[in-house]
Amino acid sequence: MSFLNSIDVSSSGLSAQRKRMDTISENIANSNTTRTEDGGPYKKKKVIVKENKDFASVLNDKMSGVKVDSIYEDGSAVKREYDPSHPDADEEGYVLKPDINVVEEMTNMISTSRSYEANVTAMNAVKSMAMKAINIGR
Amino acid sequence: MNINRLQKALDAEKLKNDAITSNIANIDTPEYKRKKVKFEELLKQASDIDKVNPEIKEVRDMSTSRLDGNNVDIDQEMSELAKNQIRYNALISQVSSQFDRMRTVLRG
Repeated sequence: MSFLNSIDVSSSGLSAQRKRMDTISENIANSNTTRTEDGGPYKKKKVIVKENKDFASVLNDKMSGVKVDSIYEDGSAVKREYDPSHPDADEEGYVLKPDINVVEEMTNMISTSRSYEANVTAMNAVKSMAMKAINIGR
Repeated sequence: MNINRLQKALDAEKLKNDAITSNIANIDTPEYKRKKVKFEELLKQASDIDKVNPEIKEVRDMSTSRLDGNNVDIDQEMSELAKNQIRYNALISQVSSQFDRMRTVLRG
């Protein structure tokens, strides 16, 4: 069923955008985290998406969805802040904190949410077309 | 109009819809290139309309001012999606009325 194929493409878009949204929430929630499992401050995460193109889809001229390729941890997004009373401060009184720009995360969140909505609209369009096609000849 | 041609047009619209869905899903994919279905242009050039099949093309121009190598314009895709749906529905009602006419002939 080829209609179901394009619903799959939209749903891959939906899950990729949802993953981005999860990562953005994680970044905002951890914008002050100084302790993590592997030591050091929280590192800003970024979702890298990739076109989901395999050999079979190229061969059959099929449409490609999207998939999350990896989650990149930005090790350089760390700032030093002077706060000698902080328990994690070093001898000079500096604390390593994640360098997360909340405004940037918020704008990313809005754009992710719009992309998610676009995928929902596309999926609804496909669905209504399929329903129309069922009604041929009735 | 003959039903086979309407069917071909419906297939072309379906393929266009696939391309638009894929473009929307990959709106944030770096280096993704917009996909487009060629059908109307091919129909204009064709001598035998029944032999024309829609083709998927990857558009490689950088018409949008994006820095990530992706050339999908979301507004364009959404309006194409809306247009496509209207055309599809129009074709469906054409097919349906064709069948209605047949039914009228059969029942007299």
